[in-house]
This record gives sequence, structure tokens and C-alpha cells, in this order.
Amino acid sequence: MIDLENVAYAYPQATEPALRGITLHVPDGQFLAVVGGNRAGKSTLSYVLSGFIPHHFKGTYRGKIEVAGMDLTQASLGEIAGVVGLVFSNPFNQISGARFTVEEEVAFGLENMGVPSSEMPGRVAKALEMTGLSEMARRSPYALSGGQQQRLALASMLVMQPQLLVLDEPTSQLDPAAKIEVFEVLDRLATEGGMTVVLIEHELEWIGDFADRVIVMHKGRIVNDGDPREVLADEALIEMGVGNTAYTIAARQAREEGLIAGDQALPVTLSQAVDYFEGSLDRR
Amino acid sequence: MTANTLYIDQDRGFQRLNPLTKLVISLFLIILALVLPCMWAGYIVFLLAVVPLALWGGILRPLWSALWKIVLPFAISMFVIQGLFWTGGTPVVALGPFSLKAEGLIFATRITGRLLAIMGSFLLVSLGTAPDDLMISLEQRGVPNSITYIILSTIQLVPGLQARSEKIRDAQRARGLETEGNIIQRTRSMLPLVEPLVLGSIIDVDERAIALEARGFSREGDKTFYRTVEDRRWEQTLRWVLAVSALFLILGRILWPFIGRFLGGG
Repeated sequence: MIDLENVAYAYPQATEPALRGITLHVPDGQFLAVVGGNRAGKSTLSYVLSGFIPHHFKGTYRGKIEVAGMDLTQASLGEIAGVVGLVFSNPFNQISGARFTVEEEVAFGLENMGVPSSEMPGRVAKALEMTGLSEMARRSPYALSGGQQQRLALASMLVMQPQLLVLDEPTSQLDPAAKIEVFEVLDRLATEGGMTVVLIEHELEWIGDFADRVIVMHKGRIVNDGDPREVLADEALIEMGVGNTAYTIAARQAREEGLIAGDQALPVTLSQAVDYFEGSLDRR
Repeated sequence: MTANTLYIDQDRGFQRLNPLTKLVISLFLIILALVLPCMWAGYIVFLLAVVPLALWGGILRPLWSALWKIVLPFAISMFVIQGLFWTGGTPVVALGPFSLKAEGLIFATRITGRLLAIMGSFLLVSLGTAPDDLMISLEQRGVPNSITYIILSTIQLVPGLQARSEKIRDAQRARGLETEGNIIQRTRSMLPLVEPLVLGSIIDVDERAIALEARGFSREGDKTFYRTVEDRRWEQTLRWVLAVSALFLILGRILWPFIGRFLGGG
């Protein structure tokens, strides 16, 4: 699905490149999570994958950027919109302002893509159902809470049935309750599968729960790539400003203090931690 | 938070009219007020057309509440300036060394009436038309979505900036900024608003552009519609009648001096 070969990019007037030699291949249907500290190049990567670099953000780039066999540097943003969906952090700014009910807001992308009108109600209803917004279909998008608005942004992308969905820190501006609302939708996406998803996120525990693969970015490069449990439990993430989950830190400390023996992988999520500590107790 | 528009959502006959019909009615009333030579034309248009239409839409109260705030200061300044400083006019009332001139008062009366009709017609459309309905109607007639979006953004601009400045002001007040007091203190409290208001708006525009593009806004080719806005046959006919009448009114106004001279000469 994603084929990036040696991609480098620098924003206009920037003294240093934001991306350096990124090579990334993602197969169809994979749920890929991207983590990294500030200025690691994560958001820049999301703009590369959604075609906004080089079409919206100027600057200098090199390398091969292909998604679903489409050369994003040559395709127009209109063509790319039919293949790649992008959700970013600010829920309010993702409301088009062109339609005044939730259902019409969701249908806005379909209208632009010229989808037959007869097809729209079914697709809109499915996207609203998937994001738990069915009961708010007739409400104004501006009357929704932050979490609901972010789910609306997700619904507006899901309805377009993109082959690749890129989510750039979709929960970073939300309160804890709203974060859970959005993660539940992402959880459903991961469980149902089918769509290729790239999720840039700081909430490592959630990532550990449903990502198939994690890459770590640091100073514009991919510095680690692999199984979520293996990658997210890496102590080096702390120095990069990403951190580890509380479960990983507790398990590491317990092992270092000799409370737990063995060399099984450190846990990242709550369920992994339960298994990890229960297993250790059983062995005792 | 609701959408940034003046529209008052009510299920009434006026609101159910096609937005283009309301737009054409409004433009026709404005032309009528500008073209008719009578001094009272603006007031007649306002009383006989704007007020009944506003009553039909149940929006007379908000329309009047917005209208007088615009028209009254303008009217006062017009009557004072034109009345007192009209050169070489006929004095009507003496005020010490000054005098109010009849010609100036007539001119101020005419201009105030026109403003009443123009702003009343504009508010009639703004308060009685859902902006998205207007956008859909125009797009269904082949107007590019980039143009309709500019129209929509313009309609929402002032209420949008008001809402944003309120938020910034609340945030600054929470951190001790003094926003009450005399006119100087209140003016001074406006200054810290400017930078976050302007910068925030610019950032928002960029993000909004990305969000629109991600949903195929600039895609070339035919657009389709989730919902259509009803456009009844009689409304289409009415629009044509009003458009042609407006054209005749304008032509009549332009040609009237020539016709008058011809008739007089004949």
C-alpha cells in the first residue's frame, strides 16, 4: 500500500530537513503506529502520505512517494483524496463550514468526489454508525463536543472509503473521556481490518493494544521498526521523549530489583501486564 | 457553539422559499429603492415589502434590532452634516450661527430611506436563509464551489471573528486582563486581542484548507448532492419576472432624462 523510498523533505526557509532518507513499505490492511518525540518528523510524514507535501507545503523533497500504486507527487490533491484520508489533531478546524448538519457534513466529501446521490445515504449512515454518531445526524457540527467533533472528522474520512487512512495525533487536543471515544472507534477499525491505517499517537498503551506494527521516528529518521510490544518497551524511547507506559516501567523495575526473574518481553498494555505479573507469580 | 451565521431557523413560508428567490427579491428591493426618484422610495420599500416579508418569516424583531443600530447613527450624522452644511440651500430652522437647509434635509431623508431599504433587504436574506442552502442552490446551478465557499465564508466572517475574540478575551480575563472601565481602559484591553486573533485566524485558514482538500474540494469533475434544495416552478417564474422588471427599472432610470427632454421638446 505504502512505498516510500529514500524520502527527504525540508520546509521552506528551514535550516534542517524535517525528513531524512525515509524508506517505508506498508502492506495492505496493516495498522501501523508512528511514535516519536517533538520535531521527530511525524506530522511531516503524515503530510507526505496524504500528498500535502509537495502539493500544499512547498519546500524541497526527493525520493519516491507511492500510495496504492499512485505517485503522489504527480497526482492532484483531488485524485489523492479518493485514495488517502487524513485526520489531524484540531477537531474544530476539520469541520468544513460548508454544511450545517452532521450527516451533511459527513456527505460533503462524497459530494466533492461525485459519488451518486443514491449511494450517499447508505454510506453516511454506516460511517455515522461506526463512529457512534447516528443519533446526532441532524445536529449542527458546531454543537458537538470536542470528542464528538473528532469522531465526526473520522466519519467524514471513513465515508470516503479511502485505501489508506492517516491519523495525525487525533486525540492530542481531547480530554481523557473524549480520547476514549476516539480510541474506541480506532479499536473497531483495527478489529474489523481491511483498511490500511497509519496512526501517529502518543498514547502508547492504546497503540500497544491494536497496532500491528510500530515505527519510531527521531530527528527525521526511522530509528526502530517492528512488533509493538518489542518496540514500545524499548528503554531508549525515554531518552527520545516518547517514554514507556507505566506497565513497562513497573515490570522493568521489578525485574531490575530481582522481584521477577525471566527474560520474557516487558508488557506495554494492562492486559499484557496482568499476564506478565501473573505468570511470574505462578512460576514462584 | 453554533454555526457562525445570522440565520434564524424557523419552519415558515419565507424560510421555505428557495434561497435564490430570496436573494433575487432582496436585490430587486434594493434596486427599487435606488432607482425610484421619489424621496420616500426607501421608506415605502421598507414598509411595504421588507416589513411584511420579515413578518412572514417571523424575523421582524431581530431584523429591527440589528437594523436600527446600523441606520440610526448614520441617519443622525447625515441629518446633522447635510442639514447644517448644505451649501447655498434654503434655511428652514436657525440654530444660532447655523441653520438647517431644506435641500440638505431632503437629501438626508432620501439617503437614510435608501439605507433602511438596502440594509433591511440584506438582513432579510441573512436572517431568513440557511447559508448552506444558499451554497447548495448556487452549486446546483453550476457555480463553482470555490466561489460559493467564499460567499459562505464572508457571511460567517464577522460572527466567526466575534466568537473567536470572545474566547480570547475570556482567556485573557481569566489571567487578570482588565476589560472593564472607561473608554480608554476598554480600548487598551483590545490591543492584546489583535495578535492572537489575527495569527489564530491565519492558522485556522491553513488547517481548514487542508481539511477541505482531504475531502476532495478541489477535485475536477461533476459534483453530486446529498440533499437538493426545492425550487418550485412559480419561484423560478417570479425570479425571471423580478429580474426583467429590475432591468426595465434601471433602463427607465437611465433613459428618463432623455425621454423627459424628448417629450418636453416635442
